[in-house]
Amino acid sequence: MSHAEATAAPDAAEAPTSRTTAAGPEVREASEASEAPTRRRGAFGRLLRSELGLVLGRRRNQLLLALLASVPILLGIVLAIVSDSAYAGQGPGFIDRIGGNGLFLVVTSLFLCTPFLLPLVTSIAAGDAIAGEAGGGTLRYLLTVPVRRGTLLVAKALAAMTFMLVAVALVTAAALLAGGLLFGFDDLTLLSGQTIPLTDGVLRMLGVAGYVAMSLTGLVAVGLFFSTLAEVPVGVMAATVVVAIVSTVLDSLPQLSAIHPFLLTHHWFDFAEFLRFEVSWSLLGQGLALQAAWVAIFGSLAWARFTTADITS
Amino acid sequence: MKNKRLRWAVPAATAVAVGTAFAIPALATASADELPETTPADLLAAVAQAEPTAMSGTAVYTARLGLPELPAEMTGGADPLNLLSGSSTIRVWTDGAERSRVSLLGTTSEYSAVVDGPEAWTYSSAKNAVVHVSLDDAATAQLDAAKADAQARADAVDPASIPTPEALAEQVLAFASMTSEVTLDDNVVVAGRDAYQLEITPLTDDTLVDRIVVAFDGETYVPLSYQAWSSMDTSAPALEVAFTDVSMDAPSDAALAFSTPDGATVEEKVVTGEDLAAATAPAEGTEGDVPVLPEDFDPSTLDPSALTPGAGFLPEGTSISGFGWATVVEQSGVDVAGLLSGDVDADAADLPASPWAGRPAEDLAEEFRGSAADGGFSLDATALYDQLTTPVEGGRLFTSALLSALVTDDGRVFVGSVPTDTLLAAAGLA
Amino acid sequence: MSSTLTERDHDGVPTTGGDAVVRTRGLTKKFRSGQVAVDGIDLEVPRGAVYGFLGPNGSGKTTTIRMLLGLVQPTSGEALVLGGAMPRSAVAVLPRVGALVEGPAFQPYLTGRRNLDRLDAVDMTADPRTSKARIGAALERVGLSAAAAKPYRNYSLGMKQRLGLAAALLRPRDLLILDEPTNGLDPQGTREVRHLIRELAEDGASVLVSSHLLAEIDQVCTHVGVMSRGKLLVQGERDVVTSGGRQSGERVVITTLRDHVDGARRVLARLAGVDPSSASEAASVEDADHLGDGAVTVTATLGGASLSDVAPALVAADVLVLGIGTDRPSLEDVFVELTGEGFDVAR
Repeated sequence: MSHAEATAAPDAAEAPTSRTTAAGPEVREASEASEAPTRRRGAFGRLLRSELGLVLGRRRNQLLLALLASVPILLGIVLAIVSDSAYAGQGPGFIDRIGGNGLFLVVTSLFLCTPFLLPLVTSIAAGDAIAGEAGGGTLRYLLTVPVRRGTLLVAKALAAMTFMLVAVALVTAAALLAGGLLFGFDDLTLLSGQTIPLTDGVLRMLGVAGYVAMSLTGLVAVGLFFSTLAEVPVGVMAATVVVAIVSTVLDSLPQLSAIHPFLLTHHWFDFAEFLRFEVSWSLLGQGLALQAAWVAIFGSLAWARFTTADITS
Repeated sequence: MKNKRLRWAVPAATAVAVGTAFAIPALATASADELPETTPADLLAAVAQAEPTAMSGTAVYTARLGLPELPAEMTGGADPLNLLSGSSTIRVWTDGAERSRVSLLGTTSEYSAVVDGPEAWTYSSAKNAVVHVSLDDAATAQLDAAKADAQARADAVDPASIPTPEALAEQVLAFASMTSEVTLDDNVVVAGRDAYQLEITPLTDDTLVDRIVVAFDGETYVPLSYQAWSSMDTSAPALEVAFTDVSMDAPSDAALAFSTPDGATVEEKVVTGEDLAAATAPAEGTEGDVPVLPEDFDPSTLDPSALTPGAGFLPEGTSISGFGWATVVEQSGVDVAGLLSGDVDADAADLPASPWAGRPAEDLAEEFRGSAADGGFSLDATALYDQLTTPVEGGRLFTSALLSALVTDDGRVFVGSVPTDTLLAAAGLA
Repeated sequence: MSSTLTERDHDGVPTTGGDAVVRTRGLTKKFRSGQVAVDGIDLEVPRGAVYGFLGPNGSGKTTTIRMLLGLVQPTSGEALVLGGAMPRSAVAVLPRVGALVEGPAFQPYLTGRRNLDRLDAVDMTADPRTSKARIGAALERVGLSAAAAKPYRNYSLGMKQRLGLAAALLRPRDLLILDEPTNGLDPQGTREVRHLIRELAEDGASVLVSSHLLAEIDQVCTHVGVMSRGKLLVQGERDVVTSGGRQSGERVVITTLRDHVDGARRVLARLAGVDPSSASEAASVEDADHLGDGAVTVTATLGGASLSDVAPALVAADVLVLGIGTDRPSLEDVFVELTGEGFDVAR
């Protein structure tokens, strides 16, 4: 067998055999390649469960969630203690309404968490998605298992999204719990002064939570894209949070009003719409469309980057 | 490698697609040629004739008056002070007649004003405070009497002697043409509706107002947008209100009703019969005839100075100089310090009522007065006054893109849509 | 991704005959920094071979392996693994390839077992029902069963390496690509890995094993390829490579006394079929006083003769034999010969 002979590499390159003689092995190899095992049903579900287990099972992430859930609880306790003090009527959002109706603890907590804490948690989950695996070297093992890079990216994105959803849900649930226990629920007085029944009020609060969660999807996509660019997860997380913060700053500069409608954070606080007499679905639709646009652009950027990148970590 | 470039084409294509999707609604508002041709006179006649229309909608208000910005975050929730500068979103519901609701939206707050016939409420969500304005029996009776009187007089008038809306519009135009040029601008689309645009340009250069543009809905003739351009800034209107979203359906009863929320503080303001009498007193001089101009009215034959109201027409202490757009109103004996310290009820009525009601700058002044009267200043009024005005020799000067005001140390106030130099000259301080 | 066969037809790259599990043609990787990590190599790993992929650190072995596994896109050239073009056929081919790339890497806060479970979950073609059994078997095979429930971060370097091997053995594989599998292992661990590789080869798998330590691989591989500075200097059957391509077989080393040198030379020349008159050139003589007073060694190629014939022939010729042995030229010798520099020189 000629190929087994010791030959210096450059010589071997000069020894092509004709395609006729090559036909034999080629046919064999082809049949070999087509033997590729078939994809099993439910395999993606298993992958997703595994990813979720990884994200939600991680001690650091659990700590973050616990921290986030403690915000409404601590806020509720503090308000319960100082309810009649001189601080009444001060503070952000609806803080002075909580004493009268625990439902307001939901919207106040989300209001307090939206500018920084929720973006931070989102950035950590999204930024860690690919960069964490790359930094730890585990990415090369995942890809040689093998798994399609697109599939892995989707699983990672969904896991990060889920983590973000869990974070929002946890804040909401903790706020409902603490608000109900400490202050009790009552019919909801809207911003316009009208009052709606408690059941509608609870639905509105769930609407607020849902909108806050949807508002963070764009940030997940941004974090995911950044995550495909680098191997240092902490840097990626920081960069992602910075995007949210810079967007907020730009949104507050009236000189830049021309770009405001396109800023990631521009519609973040539109969740207050759920507390108005007539919820403007078109305004909420704008917010969701904006997030969808960010997801589409940064999601496709992440895909293009990740499926073409050399994995050298 | 080729494969690699192909993949990067996907985000590029996505960006283009997203950009297009966002641009389409913007392009759709580019032109509206569907409406039938009209003339300024026909348009005004149609507007005057239009039935009051029930509607609701969202409008964006933007002020570029050169004033410090006081966004809702600074005023502790939505507050009329937000209207001084920057953009605000306003929602409007009206049945076209007696009942309306206007809400100024803050990020997480709302300032609402509800009018239901003779009653009115304001509600600030941030302060959870209600102000209820109502009439006492005497005032109600007075108002009812005035209504019945007006009705009786209208019935008594020979229908033939009432000018047609078209004729009336011609006259209004002729009257306006003494001071302004009224033209039609290109039709526009406002909040997805085709609209006519009427442009009013002052003939004089002595005013801060460059032009005023109003868009009227092509179907219902409801004003859909309003722009006031300053001669100081030709790039963007100094004041702009435009619907972004409008529905001509009648709003629900709940939207127009007001009930005091639990736990809200309520301030009652009762307008008494005397208040009403005092407020309507200046109108005495003009009582009697509906101001109908003769058929052969020719403004060019008119002496402009004859249009300046005489002293008897005006409340005491008020005088007017200048003409048309360049009018300066002077009010003497105003205790600014008293106004700012919150003792405003006594003085509120003393602020000059504008003969050009509805002008934007006057609206602003109205806002000031209104919010002060509501006790709605969340900022220290004196501090605000200091911030908004600059000291000059002999007084303090308020400058904005559309309106100037001068408060002299001897208690005179000069207001006008004129350059500050004009006010200083009028006060003898220049 | 489309069929590998048609891809190859389109590319029109000629193939040599033979049954190779890995074959590259002009495989080149130039990084964006301008560094040419791999420079047009033609790798050929025959089916059933244990292929020692050798070269100092930084010679391009790992980049080559990354290209074979579809992790890195070649700048030019092509790589076929089990008949599939990389990286396009990665998903079709890699389930039958077990890989250990540049040291083990796992989630530190998961146990060994959970880490393997995670990798198995990522495999869209793996059967979840057999997952538990396969993971258990893989752990057993690398001797990690006892530590399976410990978090990975508490593992020693050797245990981490074993877990990496276990991951490569989660499913039956046709090809194992093991990059530095003995890194960090103690001598006992190294022996175990060598044993494992032999076992796998006996089971019918082909193995591509890279190392920067020549001696480690020398003992297990049937084939070798030597890389230096991004180029493949030589490849082929191990014995052929080490004999410098002369196919002259082993050399015999005889220890005797100085007086017996000429006799020994004559016997060796006769056995090798060399003209006795040139016997002095055919065998080299060195003093070996450390083996005893007046001791010398005579080294000669055996040619076609068998080693077992040497001792009787010497005894028959009354040559005193103090010791007899063979001398395989080491890979290191080959390497130094090829490059003119030491093996451990990394660039």
